[in-house]
Order: sequence, then structure tokens, then C-alpha cells
Amino acid sequence: MFRPLTHRIPRRSLHTLGYLPNTTSPLVSSLSFFNSVTGGSADKIPTFRVLDGVGKPVDGAEMPEIDEAFARRLYENMQLLPTLDTVLYNVQRQGKISFHMTSHGEEGTIVGTAAALDNADEVLGQYREMGVLLWRGFGIDNVMAQCFGNQDDTSTKGRQMPVHFGSPKHHFHTISSPLATQIPQAAGVGYALKRARAQNIAVCFFGEGAASEGDFHAGMLLASTIPSPTLFIARNNGFAISTPSAEQYYGDGIAARGPGYGIDTIRVDGNDILAVLAATREARRRTHEQGRAVLVEAMSYRVGHHSTSDDSFAYRQRSEVEDRKRIDNPIVRFRLFMESQGWWGAEAEEELKARLKADVMKAFKRAEALPRHELSELFTDVYGGEEPWNITEQRNELKGLLKKYGSTWEPWKAELAKFKNKGADMV
Amino acid sequence: MLASRRLNNRSLAALLRRCNSTAAEPPPAGGHLPSVATSQLLNATREKALRTPGLRWNDEDDPNIIVGAERECRKMNVYQAVRDALSIALTKDDNAVIFGEDIAFGGVFRCTMGLAEEFGRERVFNTPLTEQGIAGFGIGIAAMGHTAIAEIQFADYIYPAFDQATRQRGCKDSISLRRIVQRRWPYNSDPNHVCCTWRIYLPSFRTYKPLKGHGGLYHSQSPEGFFMGASGLKVVIPRSPIQAKGLLLSSIRDPNPVVFMEPKILYRSAVEQVPMDDFELPLGRAETLVPGADLTLLTWGTPIYHCETALHLLADPPPGLAPHVPESLRKAKIELIDLRSILPWDVETVTESVKRTGRLVIVHEAGMTAGAGAEIAAEVQKRCFLRLEAPVKRVTGWDTPVALQYEKFHIPDGVRILDAIVETLSY
Repeated sequence: MFRPLTHRIPRRSLHTLGYLPNTTSPLVSSLSFFNSVTGGSADKIPTFRVLDGVGKPVDGAEMPEIDEAFARRLYENMQLLPTLDTVLYNVQRQGKISFHMTSHGEEGTIVGTAAALDNADEVLGQYREMGVLLWRGFGIDNVMAQCFGNQDDTSTKGRQMPVHFGSPKHHFHTISSPLATQIPQAAGVGYALKRARAQNIAVCFFGEGAASEGDFHAGMLLASTIPSPTLFIARNNGFAISTPSAEQYYGDGIAARGPGYGIDTIRVDGNDILAVLAATREARRRTHEQGRAVLVEAMSYRVGHHSTSDDSFAYRQRSEVEDRKRIDNPIVRFRLFMESQGWWGAEAEEELKARLKADVMKAFKRAEALPRHELSELFTDVYGGEEPWNITEQRNELKGLLKKYGSTWEPWKAELAKFKNKGADMV
Repeated sequence: MLASRRLNNRSLAALLRRCNSTAAEPPPAGGHLPSVATSQLLNATREKALRTPGLRWNDEDDPNIIVGAERECRKMNVYQAVRDALSIALTKDDNAVIFGEDIAFGGVFRCTMGLAEEFGRERVFNTPLTEQGIAGFGIGIAAMGHTAIAEIQFADYIYPAFDQATRQRGCKDSISLRRIVQRRWPYNSDPNHVCCTWRIYLPSFRTYKPLKGHGGLYHSQSPEGFFMGASGLKVVIPRSPIQAKGLLLSSIRDPNPVVFMEPKILYRSAVEQVPMDDFELPLGRAETLVPGADLTLLTWGTPIYHCETALHLLADPPPGLAPHVPESLRKAKIELIDLRSILPWDVETVTESVKRTGRLVIVHEAGMTAGAGAEIAAEVQKRCFLRLEAPVKRVTGWDTPVALQYEKFHIPDGVRILDAIVETLSY
């Protein structure tokens, strides 16, 4: 057995033994293993917090500067997320949309980080970051359009699953399902920004599960080594579908990996929106100033199911979830803080909830009534420039089949009616 | 800008000359048979080079340019032509960057010699050793409307980037998601701009060297067939210096992601006159190198030269082979076609040829099962069924890894192609 590890490596031979050419590590003569994360007395990376569970500033809290208007905007966006999520979740349950993923429990992380960024910073997300778009004014109608895949869906023209949003105007790169692929891409975006639009940085969100992918390693490495101004935000919510984080890694979360890449790192209480705001503001400043990667790990808890295709009570206790919702709710925590400042009250709460619900229901009804894009969009945008022959021929083949069977083969007949012009562009 | 490039070129002339000297090959071991060094398919003269079919000048509006027959040409091998193309791409596009493993000092095959010194380390730089990172990083740069020219050191090592290259590639299109599997459409700030060009060294076989081949399992693969199903991507393989330069410049400027595979064996062995100015050759178009009426011989990359050997063997077989080549077939007119673009491929040129000749032999280095030849054979039998007078024959590597000491028996060389031609003609 090895003896417990310490980071107090004897340095007495420092000056006599010198250094190897490819490191500044001192040479020592004592055999000693090093493990800064799980070894012996090593400290865990602390979690930064400014508000306690009931919204009171903790001792010595480094509060971010905010005024009442800004605080109200934070709170409205936090409340909008569950309002939208609840409607979309239920709508999925009724079969009106095919899929949904909620942000329940991560409102503080998502709204707090979004609010700390410049609105023109390029964001590459995973899929639970709808709140960033909402903060930037994407609008409820666009959210609904993408989830319904109707003719107003400018994100994906109805081609991708719900919650795969994107908007060049809002500097939000379109979401795709393969996890972590956005991480090295973000490093490339950061590099291009450094060359062309130096006032902005790239911002990359991912979950703690996605951080196990090879692309996480690649992206962190590239953004620190090349280097590229890229802010990495890990949402550690304790679960990757059913896999608890204890089965995802053996080290000290995601944050502990940052220093290995030479990256400035902070861990923050993700349920404390003011801590998230303060930490992300400083992380953004450092990213921009150093022109190199910075890592923020936001600790929260995934209160909702992984997605509408998941029943999380198959792998965790319902009581555990209910406890977390009650004991540590980011929205409640911030509301209590607002109330203590005299910025919020029961009346405002009621008015906000009613207004948000009405707005969401209105957008939902509108989105539901709109037809899809034209059916021929199935074949467009595969290539830019001249369309290859195989795509053209296959479009014509489908046209021929629709002429033949479109009005008699029921599965097609019913489906055609949902498209703009009822598929006339293809018949 | 172009004038300065010419000056720069002159200052690099010494360097190029030095590189050129390495291109000298000893006489081929096969006696009177042609080799890459003596191939009639290469442009030995400036006049021939300037008459390259499909060549499109990209500088006609430049008043300082000398046009017509006065244009400057220089003898180059493939790596010098690639370097020349990269130099032009960087000169004319301030947003173009080149990156990959070991490219800053000139690359392990010298394709980026002097570029870092000429254009700066910000535009020509090394990455850490991570293929998935390189591919993703390039997509990120391209998503910002910049020109990303990434390099994968050997085609054999593209597989770690397969996820990024086939699912995540982005293309031009300002609003929509390119659809395939779940492709991320890394949206573009400049909708008219291009996406990443991955230049990958297609090591090919080294048997045209007088020495025996020695690429083994992981320095010999031809993965073009794997990419053939990746709709949205383009795959290009040049056969010669002039083709490499023209097709690479087209690839870099194409509005789609391109995998550009450079046959490594030809880097130094294929030498011809190449115009110094900026020109492009069309993607998606095959080129008929030798017209004929009796059989269509279709190939790309290095096997072009094996096919040339086979045509000589057919017309004038050495005594050992003569008994296997009936007199009646020796005057057969074989049409030799270089496919050049594997995806999308030029179905029109190929089927037009097969309809005339009634016979098709496809040659490629990759294994047979589900190789690119399978796709082409299926499409040809669909379109030319009534004109085919013999089964479509494929001459390919075997469905085995490329075993080191067995290489001579693995490759589709002259005698195997000759045999396929004889079999098909006498069917």
C-alpha cells in the first residue's frame, strides 16, 4: 500500500538536482505520488456562494453589483423558464410535440450566466440552455415555433428535434444532439473571435456527463494551448440521464480538471443566481483579458426528468427530488432576497405568474395553428451552392411517388395536410 | 496584393528548388513501362499545363496579371503544388488559417514549408495532438465565417474525427440546420462564406517507389468510401500537382466542408508544370484522360498511374504476359477516366462513357466491400443496364488490413488491372 498522499513534496534537492528540459518541475530524490484531488489531506475545490438558502447574504459575501430593474429582469427570466417548461412538458404528454427537455432546478445557473455575458458573445450550448436565448430576447414565439417545427421555425426549419434551438441574430449556435461536439468547436469560435471581433468571447455550456466525452478533453486543451478566449460552463446537476455523477468521475467534479489544462477555474453554487452572476462576470473578464480558456462549474440538481422520454423515479427516490425542490430552490432563494431588498412582493409575484402564463399560452396556441415549412425543404440546405444530382433526383422521385400515392396512402395523405401549401410544391 | 505574392514566391524560389531536387526519381524498375516519373498523363510542358481542361483563372480582373500564353509556370511536385495553393489561399483571404499537427515547421510532408514564416504563427499554427479537436476547432472557425484549413496527418487517423466530420460539419446557410443524422449547423455570420476544408494526407501505397512499400496498417488506408454516405460533405482526391493545386483552391473556396485527400506516394514522385497564378478546377467533375470506345476504366488518385501501366501492358505485353493477352484485344481502345470528386461524383461523365463502351472496370485502393466502387457500380447498372455487355468489374484492395510485407499482392497494380480489362473485354 502506498502511504497517504500529500502535496507537501520535499523540495530540499531543488537547487542541486535542477530541472528537466520540458518542465519547470523541481527534481526531488524522495519517491512520492501526487494526487491533488483525492490524495490525503488535499482540499476539495470550494464552492462560491453569496446567498444562503433563505436568500440572506452570507458572511463576507462578494455580492455582484445589481440594481432593482436588473434584479427584476433576472427574476422574470427565472420564472419564465418553468412556465414555458411546464406548458411544453404537458403539451408533449398530449402528443402535440414529439419531445421536450426542461430546465427545472437549473434556472439560477442558466439565467445567471446569461446575464453575466455580453449579448454578442457567441454561445454554444448543449440543450438545457433555452434560458440564454430568452435572456437575449429570442422570444416565446420562436421557442414554440422550434418545438412545433412549424413554418416560423428559423432555427432548424422543422428538421431537428424540439429544444434544438439556434439563432445567428442572438449569437446562439444551433444545438445538436451529439454531446460535447460543441466543446472543441467553441475553441475554434473563440479563436476566430480573437482575430476578428476582439470585444467578444466564445461561451460553451455542457453537462458533467458530456465532460466525459473525448471532445471535452480536446476542447479544453485547444482553448488553453492555442489559445482561444473561450469560457467553459459546466452544469453539474448530479445526473447524466440515470447515471449519478459518482459513476461519471472519480475526481473532484469537473472543476478539478481545469488546472490540469492550465485553466483558471471556479466552482459556484448554481442555485445562487447572484453567485453565478458574480463568478461568470469575473470569468468572462478573465477569458477576455487572457485570451485563453476559463472554466466555471455550476453545482445544481436536475429536478426534472432527463427528458420527456425519461422517468427519473426509476433510478432515484421521488422524496429526494421533492426535498431538493423544497430545500434548495434557486427561484425561491432569489425571491426571498428580492423581498428583503423591498424589490418584490406577493402582488408582483401574482401579476408576473399570470402574465407569463398568458403569454406562453398565447404563443402555444399560435404555434399549434401554424403549418410546417414547405415539404420540399426536406431536400434543401444539404449542400451550399450547386445542388448535387443525387439530391435533385431523389426529390423528383419523392414527387413522383406523392403524385401516385399522396391522395390515397393514408399515412402520407394525413401528413401532407400539415405542410405549407399542403405539399403542393412536391405534387 | 498579388504582386507582393509574386515577390514572396521569388524569395522562396530557392527553397522550392531545393525541395524540387528531392523529386528526382531513379529510373523505374519495370524497364520500358511508364511510372509516375515518366507518365504521359503529367504535363511536361508549359503549353500543356496552360491548356488543362476545365481550368478557370481566378485573377482575370487583376490588371497587373499577365494573361494568355505568357502566364508563368513552374515545375512542381504535389507537395509543392499544395504549398503553392495554400500560399495563394492565405494571400487572398485574410480570414484563412491553417492548422494541424506539426505544420508550423513545414509539415511532415513539407506541404506548409515557409508558410508560418511568411504569414505568421497566428495564421499557420500547430495544434495539440487531437484529431477530433482539430476537426471540431475547424468547424468553430468556419462557423464564424472564416476559412479553416485543417490538416490530419494521415488519412488513417481521421477516424477520431469521424463524429465531427460526418455529423458536425457546417456549411453555408445563414438560417437553417443542415439536416443529416443530427448535424449541427454551425451558423454563419457571413452567409456567403465557406466551411472547413480538411486536408488529409491520403498515404496511399508507396509501391511506385523503387523501394518496397512500407505503410503497413496505419499509413496506407484509403477511407474515402467511409465518407461517401456523409451527404453534405465533399470528398476530393487529386492525381497530380496541377490537379492538386486547382482542386485544393476550389475546395478551400467551396461553400461546403471538403475532405481533400492527397496521395502521399505522389508528393514527390509526380512532377509537372504548374501555373503560378490563381486557378481552380471544378469539383464534382470527372476528367477523361484517354478517350476510347471499347471499355471504360474508372479510377482516382494513385491508381491512375497503375491504369496507365495496364494500358501499356495491354497494347504491348512483355513476353511473360503475352500468352494472357489475346492479339485481338491488344488494339482495344480503353477510355481512362479520373473521377477526382468522390462525393458528389460525376455520374453524367461516367454513364455517358459506359453507354458508349458497354464495359466498366473500376479501380481503387480501398477494400472492395462497400467501397466507393460499390456505389458507382450499382448506379451504373441502374442507368446503363441495356448497354452493358459485361458485368461491372472492380479491381480493389482486398477486404483485409494493409499488411506490411504483403503489399505487392494487396494493391490493384498494373497486372491486376490488365487482367480485369482482358476478362471484361472477352466476357
